Amino acid sequence: MADGIRRRDLFKVIAAGGATTAAIAACADKPEKLIPYLLPPENIEFVPGMPLDYATTCMECPANCGMVVKTREARAIKAEGNPDHPINQGALCMRGQASVQTHYNPARLQTSMQRDGETWKQIPWDAAETAFANAIKAVGNKSQIVYMTGNASGTRGGFLDKWLSAMGASPKLVLDPLGQHNIKAANQLTFRRAEIPQYRIDQATLLVNFGAEFLETWLNPVENNRLYTTMHAYDDATKRKGRFVQVGPHVALTGANADHWIKAKPGSEPLIVLALAREVLSRTHGRAVGADRDRLTSYLEPYTLERAATESGAEAEALRKLDDDFAKAEPGLALAGGNLVATTEGTQFQIAVNLLNYVAGNVGRTVLFGASRQIDLSSSHAEVEAVVKRMQAGEVKLLIVDGANPLYHLPASSQIAGALDKVPTIVSLSSAWDETTSKAHLVLPGATFLERWGDAFPQRGVYSLVQPVMATYYPDVKAAEDTLLSVSAKLGDATFKATPTYRDYLRQAWQQVQKEVGASGDFEAFWRTSLQKGGVFRTVSFSSSVRLNPDALSGKPGVAKIAGEGLVLLPTVSLRHRDGRGASNPWLQEICDPVSQVVWGSWADINPVTAKKMGIAHGDMLRVKSPMGEVELPAYLHYGVHEDAIAIPMGEGHTHSGRNADGYGINVLDLLPNAADPQSGEFAYLTTRVQVERTGKPGYLVQLDHSPRQLGRGIIQTQTVEQARAGENTEEHDPEEMKHGHPYFDFYPLREDQTPGYHHTYRWGMTIDTERCTGCSACVAACYAENNLAIVGKTRVGLGREMPWLTIERFIEGEGDSFKALMQPMLCQQCGNAGCEPVCPVYATYHNQEGLNAQIYNRCVGTRYCSNNCPYKVRRFNWFNYEWEAPLNMQLNPDVTVRSKGVMEKCTFCVQRIARARRTANGEGRDLRDGEVTPACVQTCPTKALTFGNLADPNSAVSKKAMRGRNEQDKRVRQYEVFPSLKQHPAITYLRKVTFEPINQEA
Amino acid sequence: MSAISYSDVNADILRTLERPKPAYFLLLIGFVTAFAIGVISWAIQIDVGLGLSGISHPIGWGFYITNFVFWIGIGHAGTLISAVFFLTRAPWRAPVYRAAEAMTVFAVMTAGLFPLIHIGRVWYGYWLIPYPNQRMLWTNFKSPLMWDVFAVTTYLTISVTFFMLGLIPDLASMRDSARGIRKFLYSSLALGWNYSYQQWLHYARGYLILAAFAAPLVFSVHSIVSWDFAMAMIPGWHTTIFAPYFVAGAIFSGLAMVITIMVPLRVVFDLKKYVTDHVLQSLARVILFTSFIVGYSYCTEFFIAYYSGVNFERAIFYFRPFGEPGSGLPFYPEGQMGFAQIAFFIMFFCNVISPLPLWRWKVRNNAIALFIISILINIGMWFERFNIVVSSLSHDFNPTLWGTYIPTPVECGITLGSFGFFFTMFLLFTRAMPTLAIAEVKEMLTPPYRQANHDHVPWREYATERSEDKD
Repeated sequence: MADGIRRRDLFKVIAAGGATTAAIAACADKPEKLIPYLLPPENIEFVPGMPLDYATTCMECPANCGMVVKTREARAIKAEGNPDHPINQGALCMRGQASVQTHYNPARLQTSMQRDGETWKQIPWDAAETAFANAIKAVGNKSQIVYMTGNASGTRGGFLDKWLSAMGASPKLVLDPLGQHNIKAANQLTFRRAEIPQYRIDQATLLVNFGAEFLETWLNPVENNRLYTTMHAYDDATKRKGRFVQVGPHVALTGANADHWIKAKPGSEPLIVLALAREVLSRTHGRAVGADRDRLTSYLEPYTLERAATESGAEAEALRKLDDDFAKAEPGLALAGGNLVATTEGTQFQIAVNLLNYVAGNVGRTVLFGASRQIDLSSSHAEVEAVVKRMQAGEVKLLIVDGANPLYHLPASSQIAGALDKVPTIVSLSSAWDETTSKAHLVLPGATFLERWGDAFPQRGVYSLVQPVMATYYPDVKAAEDTLLSVSAKLGDATFKATPTYRDYLRQAWQQVQKEVGASGDFEAFWRTSLQKGGVFRTVSFSSSVRLNPDALSGKPGVAKIAGEGLVLLPTVSLRHRDGRGASNPWLQEICDPVSQVVWGSWADINPVTAKKMGIAHGDMLRVKSPMGEVELPAYLHYGVHEDAIAIPMGEGHTHSGRNADGYGINVLDLLPNAADPQSGEFAYLTTRVQVERTGKPGYLVQLDHSPRQLGRGIIQTQTVEQARAGENTEEHDPEEMKHGHPYFDFYPLREDQTPGYHHTYRWGMTIDTERCTGCSACVAACYAENNLAIVGKTRVGLGREMPWLTIERFIEGEGDSFKALMQPMLCQQCGNAGCEPVCPVYATYHNQEGLNAQIYNRCVGTRYCSNNCPYKVRRFNWFNYEWEAPLNMQLNPDVTVRSKGVMEKCTFCVQRIARARRTANGEGRDLRDGEVTPACVQTCPTKALTFGNLADPNSAVSKKAMRGRNEQDKRVRQYEVFPSLKQHPAITYLRKVTFEPINQEA
Repeated sequence: MSAISYSDVNADILRTLERPKPAYFLLLIGFVTAFAIGVISWAIQIDVGLGLSGISHPIGWGFYITNFVFWIGIGHAGTLISAVFFLTRAPWRAPVYRAAEAMTVFAVMTAGLFPLIHIGRVWYGYWLIPYPNQRMLWTNFKSPLMWDVFAVTTYLTISVTFFMLGLIPDLASMRDSARGIRKFLYSSLALGWNYSYQQWLHYARGYLILAAFAAPLVFSVHSIVSWDFAMAMIPGWHTTIFAPYFVAGAIFSGLAMVITIMVPLRVVFDLKKYVTDHVLQSLARVILFTSFIVGYSYCTEFFIAYYSGVNFERAIFYFRPFGEPGSGLPFYPEGQMGFAQIAFFIMFFCNVISPLPLWRWKVRNNAIALFIISILINIGMWFERFNIVVSSLSHDFNPTLWGTYIPTPVECGITLGSFGFFFTMFLLFTRAMPTLAIAEVKEMLTPPYRQANHDHVPWREYATERSEDKD
C-alpha cells in the first residue's frame, strides 16, 4: 500500500472513462484510498453533482446480469441493469438492486486480522500477506491446501486453477447449494450435451413447470421474467396469451403466476412427466422423434396417465387436459428445477423432462443447446463432501475461503462444523463476516465486486466485464485475486510474473477474447470500448440438433423415496435471499416475500387442512424435527402447499453475518440429511420428512398484508381472455353514473386538473400492466435504493411502520387448491383530484403543474391528515429519525432529501430524475422526449409492466396504453383506475389481468 | 330554604377559599403527579419521535385526536349552561354555571394542547397560524384543520372572556376581604368594580350580549371539529350527520363532566343547599335527552351505511360491532374481537344503555347514582371518539393496508397527564375563585326584608322539590 494519499490518481480514476459524457465510463487504475474532495479534479468532464455511471456485471448470483452502477462523488449509489447487455436488457432483480448494500454491508471486514485465541488481533496488511504465504509454506503436502470460493465466473475460474496448480494445491471448490448439475448430467445422458440449454420460454405457447422457481432465482430470473411475460402476457395487439401450468406440491411466486396449478404429491412428479410424454407420443404418432419412436414407446409403456394420477394424487382430468394442451402446443416447453428435482433421483427427473420435451418436438425449438451457459459453475455436492471428509480426517492443513460459506451452506449433518475445527489454518478472503469467516485464523478482507476487476461469460457471445466503480471502501481491503497474486510473488512463484495485478491478468485474458470475437484493431481501444459498454456482446445463433442417447432410457423413475415420518420437508429457494447470501442486506429482509408478505424471518407454509388436523393456527410457533435436527419457526397457512408437505424457505438463520441477518429465522439446511443425487452429485435437499408439532408459543410472524381478500373492491381486477378478445370492458360502473351515459360522469363541473392547459406541458402518468407483473419485487428494491427509504426493522414493521413508497400488494381469490394469489404494485397514484392535497393545513403537499402530488418535506409539520385521507394509503410517516448504519449511509442518493422524524413522505415518480432530465432538456432548448425520464421502478422492471410518461402528450407510450382521453375511454378494454368512484382522478392506469378462467372477485 | 340570607351566601361560598383540608393537598399532589407524567411523556415523545405512540400506518390519528375531541366536548357544557341556559332563562343554572365555565376553559385549554402533541414536528406548530411572515408562506384555508385552529381559538377566547366577565362582581367581593398579593390580583381582575348601579346595568347588558355571542359557538365549534372527519373521505367519517351528532355528544359528555365535578364538590364544600338535587336532576334530564340524540345518531349511521349501498361504508359499520369481515380463509379469522369492537361496545353501553335509569326520578335525585352514570358517560364518550377516529382509519379502502391499534405507555401517560392538567387547574381554581357565582345566587334569593311580601319568588321555584320532579 502506498503510504501517502494519491489523490490525483483517484481523480484520474474517477474521470477515466474519459470520452463518455454522462453515459458509461470506465475505471482505469486501481484507486487506493477513498477521500473527500479538497480540490476539484482538473478534468473538465467531471462535474461535482453529476453522476458518473460505470458498466459492470452483477455478481450477486451466478446469472451475471449486466449492470450500470451510478456513482456520485466517487461512491456507488445505485445499481441498474445495463441496457446493452443482451441477457437482462437493462433490468435487474431485487437482489441485483440490493447489491450496493452488499457493498456497504455494515458487517464488512474492514482490516486484515489474525486470530488471537478467542479474539481478533488487527495486523498490518503486509504482515497478513506474509502470514498467508507462511501458512502455505508450512503445509508440507501442498495438496492439503483447499480453496473454496463462491464465484468462479469468467476468467476467474481459470485464474484460480492456475494459481492453485502453481501452489500445488487441490483443485478449487465452488460452493453453491443451488447448482444445476442435474440438468447438466441429464442432458449428458439424454443428448450427450453436458450443458444448461437455452430455454426459449418466449417461443412456447404452453409452459409446464415442475418446480423450477424460474421467476425467482432459477438460472437467470431477470431473463426468465422477460421471456415468460413475452410468452404469457396477453398481447393487446395480437390478442394472444400463452398458458402456464404449474405442477408440484408447492406454490411460491412462480407458481402463483400460473394459470393452473396441478397439485401433486412431492416426489411423484416424474410419473406425471413420463405419463405426459407417453400420451404426447401416442397422440403425435412420434412425429418428432423419428427412429426413436419404438424405443420410446416401449420405455414409456408402464407410465400411464392413470398410474400417474393415482400415485401423485393429481386429478386425472386435469392431467388429461394438460396432456391434450401439451400435444397441441406449438411449441410447448416443460421445465423442471428447484426443490422438486433436488431429490436423490433428480437426474432421472430431468431426463424424464428431457424426454417429454423431446417427444413433443420442443428440443430445437424451445430447448436449444449450444449456448454454453455458464450460469452454474459450482462444484457438485459429492465433490464438496469428499473434501469435507478429508477435512474430518485431518488431511486438510490449510483452507482458504473466498466468498464461500460452507458452514452455512452445507447441511449440519455433513459434520462441516467438526470438520472445520480439524483444519489447523483457515484463511478467509471474504469481503464480509459470515459463519465460516468467524472460524478463520487469518482474515485478508476481499473487495466486493463493485471494487474489483473481473468478468463473466454467462453464455456464448456474451463477454461481460466487472470493473471497480469506486475505490475500496476500507483502505485495508484488497480484491482476493490481487491478494493471491501478491502472495504468490512473496512465495517467489514465477507463474504470474507478467501479470502483477489481476487487472493485468484480465487484460491478458481479454486479448484472447478480442481474438474470439474477431474484433480487429488496437487492444487498448477494444478494452476501453468493452469497459464502457460493460463487455462485448455478440449475437450468435446456436443451432442444436441433438439425438437421443438410448442409454437415457435405462432408468426406471418412480415416486422418489423420501425417508422419515411426518410431513415432507420442502426447502424452497428464497426470492429475496436465494440460498442465504443476501440475508445481510436490510432491503432484502424488509421487502416482503410477495406471496406470503412475510418480512424479517422464516416461516413454514402448511396446508390449512393439515393445520386443522394438527390444531395449528396461523402464526403458531412450530417445532419441526427431523432425524438431523430441529428448528422452531412460525406456521403460515397456505393453500399452495400439498397436505402432505411443509415448505420452508432457505436463506435465513444466520449466526455470524452481521446484525441484519443474525437471529432472523432459521436455516432449513439444519434439518437436512447430507444426501446427493448419485448420478449428478447434486445436493439433494428434498429427501426427508419432518415431525411437526405445536410448541404452544405464539410465533413472531410479521406480514405486510392485513386482509388477504380484496372484498370485491376492484383493486386488482381481472377479466377472462374471451372478454379481452371481445373487447369487453368489464369495469363495473355505478348504475347511477351510467344514467348519464358516461362512466366517468362527474356531478361537479370540469375540475381544474381536467381543464386543458391546467397541467403545463407535462402530466406525468403511469400505466401498470398487471398481466405483465409477476410480483418479482425488483421495483420495490429499486425504490428503496433510489429514494433513501428507511429500514425500520421487524418490530416496527409489525406495528405497521414500514416505509416503502411502492409495495407489491397481494390478494387471494378463491379457496382451496383453486386459490389465486393476485399481485400488483401499489404506489402513489398522483391523483388529479387528490384527497391528500386540500387537507394539509400548511401546503406541504400540493399539486404541481406537471401533475405530481409534490411533497415538501421541509414544510411538513406532520398532522398526518393527508395519509388518513389517502384512499390508497401510500403515504408514509417518519415515526422516528431512522438510522443508516454506517457505511450503509454512503449509499444514500444525494439528490433525495433524507427525511427526519415527524415528516410525511411519499412517491413522487422520482421527481429528482424528472428534474435532472428537464435540466438537460432545458439546456438544449427543447421539451422532454417520451421515454427520457424513467423512475427507478420503471427502469428495473424485467417485464416492462410499468410504463411512465407524459399523459398530456397523446402520442406518448403511456397515453396510448392508458387511453384516458374522453374519446378513447369507450374503447378501453383492460384499462381501469383503482377506486374510480372516489373521483380522485389517479394518474396511474392499471391494465387488467387476463385469465383463462373467470376469477370471482366477490368474496 | 328560604332561610338562606345574603350573608349566608357570602359566608358559605367564600369559605371554600379558606385554608383547605389536607385531603385537598393530597388530591392536588395526585393530579400534579399525573400532569408531570404527561409532561415527561410528551418530552420523551418530542425527543424520540411520534413512534412512541400507538399511531401507525394506516391509523394516522389515535389517542391524541381522541383526547382532543373528548376535551373539546367536555368544554361544551360550560358555555351551554352559562350562555344558552342563561338566554333560555333556566333558573337552575345559577349554582353550577361558574364551575361549569371554569371546567370549559380548562377543558378547552387541555384540548388545545393535543393538536400540538399529535403533530410530528411540534416545534413548527406555529406554521399553522396565518400571519404575515418572512417565510412568505401561508396556510391552507381549505384544510379543516385550519378551520379547527380558528374554531378552537375563537371558542377559547370567548369562553375566557365570558368567564372573566361573570367573575367581576365576585372578584370585587373577594378583593374587599383579601390581603396581600391576593388583594392585588383580585383588584386587577375586578377591573375597579364598585357595585354601582351604572356598573350593574352595563354588566347585565354586556353579559347578555356576550351570552348571545357565545351561544352559537356552542354549536359551531364542535360542528367544525366534526368536519375534521366529515370532510375527509374515510368511510365512517364522511357523513353529513356528523355536525349535529358531535354537538349532541359534546353536550352529553360536558354535562356528565359537570355532574362528575359538582357531586363531590358540593360534598366537600358543603354546598348542598345551593347545588340541590333539583339542579342535578335538571342536568340529568338534559343528559337523558342528549343521550337519545346520540343513540339515534348511532342508529342512523348504521342505517345510512346500509341504505347507501356503498361497499366501503357497509364494511366499516360491519367491522365496528362484529369484527373482521368474513373471508372464508382459515388464516384470517372472521369476527375476531379487537380494539374496535371493545371500543364500540363500551361506547354503546355507556352512552345509550347506562343513561336509561335516568327515566326514574329516584335515580335522577340520587347523587351517587348520578355520579356513577356520569363517570360511565365520560368513559363512553371517550370511546365514542376513539371508535370514530381509530376504527374508521383502521379499515378504510384498501384491505391489504388495514391495521390495528396498540396503545403505548407514552400516549397513555400523556392522556393521564391531560386529566392531571385539567383537574390540577380545577383544584387551583376552587382555591382561587368562588366556585359558585355569589352574585347570581344572591339574585335567586328572596331579597331581605321583603320576604313577607313575596309568596312566589324565583328561589322557591328553584330550590324546592316540585311535583314534576317525580315520575
